[in-house]
Amino acid sequence: MNLNQIMTDLSYFIPEMMLTVILLMVIVFDLFQKAETSIRAGYLALGGLALVTLSLVGQDVSTPTGIFSNMLAVDGFGRYIKLVVTIGAMLVMWMSFNSNELKERRVGEYYVLILTLVLGMFFLASATHLLSIYIALEMVSIMSYLLSGYLKEQMRSNEASIKYVVFGAFSSGILLYGFSLLYGLTGSADIVEIQAALAAGTISPALMLLILVLVLVGFGYKIAAVPFHFWTPDVYEGAPAPITAFLSVAPKAAGFAIIIRFFNVAFSNAGNPNLEAWTALENMNWQAVIGVLSVLSMTVGNVVALQQTNIKRMLAYSSIAHAGYMLLGVVVADQTGIAAILYYAAIYMLMNLGAFFVAIHIKNAFDTEDIEDYQSLGYKAPVLGVLMAIFMFSLTGLPPTGGFVAKFYLFRALIEYGDQYFWLALIGLVNGVISLYYYMRVVKAMYFGKMELPGSVHNAPLNVTILLVILALPLLFGWMIGDPLSAYAQDAVQFFIK
Amino acid sequence: MIKLALFILFLPLLSFVLQIFFGRRFEEKKGEWVSVGIQFSTLIMSLVMLVMMLSRSDPDFSLELHQSWLDLGLFKIDLGIYIDNITVIMLNVVAIISALVHLYSTAYMAGDVRYSRYFGFLGIFTFSMNGIVLANSLFMIYIFWELVGLSSYLLIGHWWEKDSAANAGKKAFITNRIGDIGMFTGMLIIATVLGTFNFQLIGERIHDGMWAANAGMLFGGIEPHKLLTIAGVLVFMGAVGKSAQFPLHVWLPDAMEGPTPVSALIHAATMVAAGVYLTVRIFPFLTADAMATIAFIGGFTAIYAATIAITQNDIKKVLAYSTVSQLGYMIMALGTGAYVAGFFHLVTHAMFKGALFLASGSVIHAMHHSLHKLKDHETDPQDMRNMGGLRSKMPITFGVFMVTTAAISGIPLFSGFLSKDAILAGTWAYAANVHDGWLAHLHLAWILPVFGFGAAAITAFYMFRLIFMTFYGEAKKPQIFKHIKESPKAMTVPLVVLAVMSLFIVFTLPSVNPISDHGWFTTVVQAPESAVTTGAAFDLENFEHGLHAAHVPAMVTSIIVAGLGILLAVLVYLLGKISADNLAAKLGALYRGSYNKWYMDEFYINGIIRPFLKGCEALGRFDLDFYDHYLINGWGRNVKRTSKGVGLADDLIVDGAVNFSGIVFQWLGWTLKFIQTGKIQNYLIFVLIGATLLFVVNVF
Repeated sequence: MNLNQIMTDLSYFIPEMMLTVILLMVIVFDLFQKAETSIRAGYLALGGLALVTLSLVGQDVSTPTGIFSNMLAVDGFGRYIKLVVTIGAMLVMWMSFNSNELKERRVGEYYVLILTLVLGMFFLASATHLLSIYIALEMVSIMSYLLSGYLKEQMRSNEASIKYVVFGAFSSGILLYGFSLLYGLTGSADIVEIQAALAAGTISPALMLLILVLVLVGFGYKIAAVPFHFWTPDVYEGAPAPITAFLSVAPKAAGFAIIIRFFNVAFSNAGNPNLEAWTALENMNWQAVIGVLSVLSMTVGNVVALQQTNIKRMLAYSSIAHAGYMLLGVVVADQTGIAAILYYAAIYMLMNLGAFFVAIHIKNAFDTEDIEDYQSLGYKAPVLGVLMAIFMFSLTGLPPTGGFVAKFYLFRALIEYGDQYFWLALIGLVNGVISLYYYMRVVKAMYFGKMELPGSVHNAPLNVTILLVILALPLLFGWMIGDPLSAYAQDAVQFFIK
Repeated sequence: MIKLALFILFLPLLSFVLQIFFGRRFEEKKGEWVSVGIQFSTLIMSLVMLVMMLSRSDPDFSLELHQSWLDLGLFKIDLGIYIDNITVIMLNVVAIISALVHLYSTAYMAGDVRYSRYFGFLGIFTFSMNGIVLANSLFMIYIFWELVGLSSYLLIGHWWEKDSAANAGKKAFITNRIGDIGMFTGMLIIATVLGTFNFQLIGERIHDGMWAANAGMLFGGIEPHKLLTIAGVLVFMGAVGKSAQFPLHVWLPDAMEGPTPVSALIHAATMVAAGVYLTVRIFPFLTADAMATIAFIGGFTAIYAATIAITQNDIKKVLAYSTVSQLGYMIMALGTGAYVAGFFHLVTHAMFKGALFLASGSVIHAMHHSLHKLKDHETDPQDMRNMGGLRSKMPITFGVFMVTTAAISGIPLFSGFLSKDAILAGTWAYAANVHDGWLAHLHLAWILPVFGFGAAAITAFYMFRLIFMTFYGEAKKPQIFKHIKESPKAMTVPLVVLAVMSLFIVFTLPSVNPISDHGWFTTVVQAPESAVTTGAAFDLENFEHGLHAAHVPAMVTSIIVAGLGILLAVLVYLLGKISADNLAAKLGALYRGSYNKWYMDEFYINGIIRPFLKGCEALGRFDLDFYDHYLINGWGRNVKRTSKGVGLADDLIVDGAVNFSGIVFQWLGWTLKFIQTGKIQNYLIFVLIGATLLFVVNVF
């Protein structure tokens, strides 16, 4: 690897470099701010992310390329995930400006940590080497630990952080076992070369399965799939609310990115990782295993969410269920399946952030997180009520919202794949019905039941309303204007494979 | 060109939004001029497109822009716009009439209670109409089809405090729905077989044999050609509704309850012509049998409505039936294969009929003001029996009436002569030269020229009757006559413009031969090839050959019959040589039939709606007397007894199952909740157990 090569590679690395520079700038800028004015660092970070988004949009990914000796890949798939992550981070920063939890606190480093987390997810979305994967994963994890413990004087926040650290260390330890087995058996850490070695078929089936399970523990913890999800409710409840919203969306998208990339490149059949007609490796039926994880995640997530009375915990469990839905797409992992996941990831980001943000604002304004206390909110705060109802309908997957279209694409991918995964689609549908119950409970509380008509109407601050409307509009009208997102997701299914 | 078209499409929608949301506020500040301005700017853009088209002069020119709208895997719907010469001409027709009607309305509707709303609705109508014109697929046409239906409903019922207006709106809406059901079914058949709604693709796929290959398989072994006929006729049903063809014509005369400019724009020039336009668009995939059906319905409507128009006394009703009759002409022309003639008549008719309606509006406006001065709320300002001699008081309106009546009657030098003559020549050629389709098989094709020439004679008669009754002779009510004034400029200018557009030369340039339709219009509009390959298609070549031969005899005959019609009108209504009352008495039943619109409304009410309601009632009575009395009450006790048992089972089994599943999930949730112990040690163990289970289960 000579200097010229590095210079060429760096030209593909501009968004990451920009992000790094902005991150450093925010740190230095924060040094010159008093605690009261440290929020300005947040504005700077938000502006910086907007620039990064622009450079991502402008990035040329027409020919997928590997950079830095194939440590990272620059391709349409990675860029899509990066866009979801940055846009999610921007929205979360916006909401963080309005969070009561973060008021009267020095917040410069909070935004620095979010930026670093975003950088880690950028790496995770494009990593193609065991080392880069692991480093990216740790980078994401460690930033997440720090952010969930950000409210230092709160017991719950501390507890969340500690649990998260232990659980994360444990999972990544297991992941490392898997990686070392892979490296030991194949002699390479590059996922394309690993694929070539595995496809030779010299490794015993039991060993293959062991590798699969070990790797899945590591990745499964990142997307909070059952049974690797136990950290989720505790962390989601303890972390500052905007961070919970962010954790339920962005690292999940990045986690899905690495699962899809890793399984499609390393664990699929020789010469066939090009999505059109691929099969899983012989001796390693990971499609069925992921199918099982998917069913477990959907069912456990939904069923436990039924029991929750706290809106944050309810949304935490429902996010486990949504990971299950997205895993349905991984099972078929072909062009339609992956496009469906990408589509779902973006829509899920909009609706889940929307629901969390309403919950955050309700906490700010009425100091409650209890679903029972949402009583007659539809009349007390009509704008918020309507928006929350839209997010709930969308999360359930009812037409005409984006949530419906997203679920539709996932189920379609399963059904078009053939009869063998029809049962999975059915279970997905049944789970949709179960989720109806707890999402609609929120709507019911807001509009039906004991009504006390309020004397005055509560309105959220203008910037919060605008933020929520920005989130809700694409959900309502995206499909009506020809669903540009769907076309974009279709185009993004394109990997770097040497 | 595409960009221009998009502006033309969406600007009127902007006008709608502005008027609906801000109209009230700016009513005093002349807010309506925003709409008028928007409409005239789209007119300019349309004219630019027209000039571009003429400078190209390419009959095969077409442009398409589409965007996937709904993609459900196998089933895709694209929305898009399609522009060819027909589109451009039609856009101009809509823009001209709409702009002039906007201008006219500023005077005619001045002081109306819902003035800004009226302009808003005109805006959404124009938007929807442009949508129909620009649509590239049946699906998109259908969307805008319903939108024009809606705006028509809203505008007919503009004065909804009047029961008759509200009812007319409903009648229009419901009658159209019947046609639309057929249209939708036809669309779905086509989309099922061909997998597309797009006009171009439908044509291509039928031509490439996809219809022949798929139709039988998908529709239970039906012969593909028959299915194509059915689909064509079903889609055409939409046109039957919208273009007020027999038997769904009943709504159009009632629609005259709307403001007169609306009648001119929607119910004479543009929306009702949408059905004709639809038929133009589906023309390439009509089979010979479907064409025969269309020709017959059109021809019958033409003469049927004409016979009603003779005896009506309401000036707008006469024009309404005349519109129905002329639409029948166009439809008949398309059915006989005279594609160019049919579309040509659509355009010329839009101009002169628009002018006729606006001119009648001018008369009504004058009558209304006069009656207002007299504080007379009893006399009907639309009844021709209250008019007479208006010529001297309203010279401009009278002049326009004369020109446009000459046009509609088919007198040489005016546009109507050219297009009507082309249609009549078409029927003549059809009767002589075409051997496919059921009309020809039954040797009934000659009936079309009979319908056509008959209707031409009657049209000339009733139009001149209208002129003589309104503008000539003695003023029948002198005190009303005293206060009649010519209408203001905003109303007379559109009249004059449209009257000029009714001269033959507008459509024949650069040629100036008054008896030949050869000119720019026939250069840019040419009949498309038939795409039908499954069986008997329309033989266009043979037909056009016949058309040349039929041209001169048809022209001579048409001048003669029009002359006869006018002569009769002169004798009866101008000179009084023959008494109209005596004639009516002599004709007896015929007169009453025509006067009562051949009892079509009565037939619908007594023949269909009442029996239907009676049937419902009878079923209800059966339910009540027989079913309830004998079966229910008689069996009641037994049922009561058994029901207790059943109820028990129901509670236990059915409700039990439902509740049980609920309970199961709740219980499952409750149990699983306890796995979440909060202790990190437990979590890690669960993870290990989970991973081990995954491994073990998959190994074995």
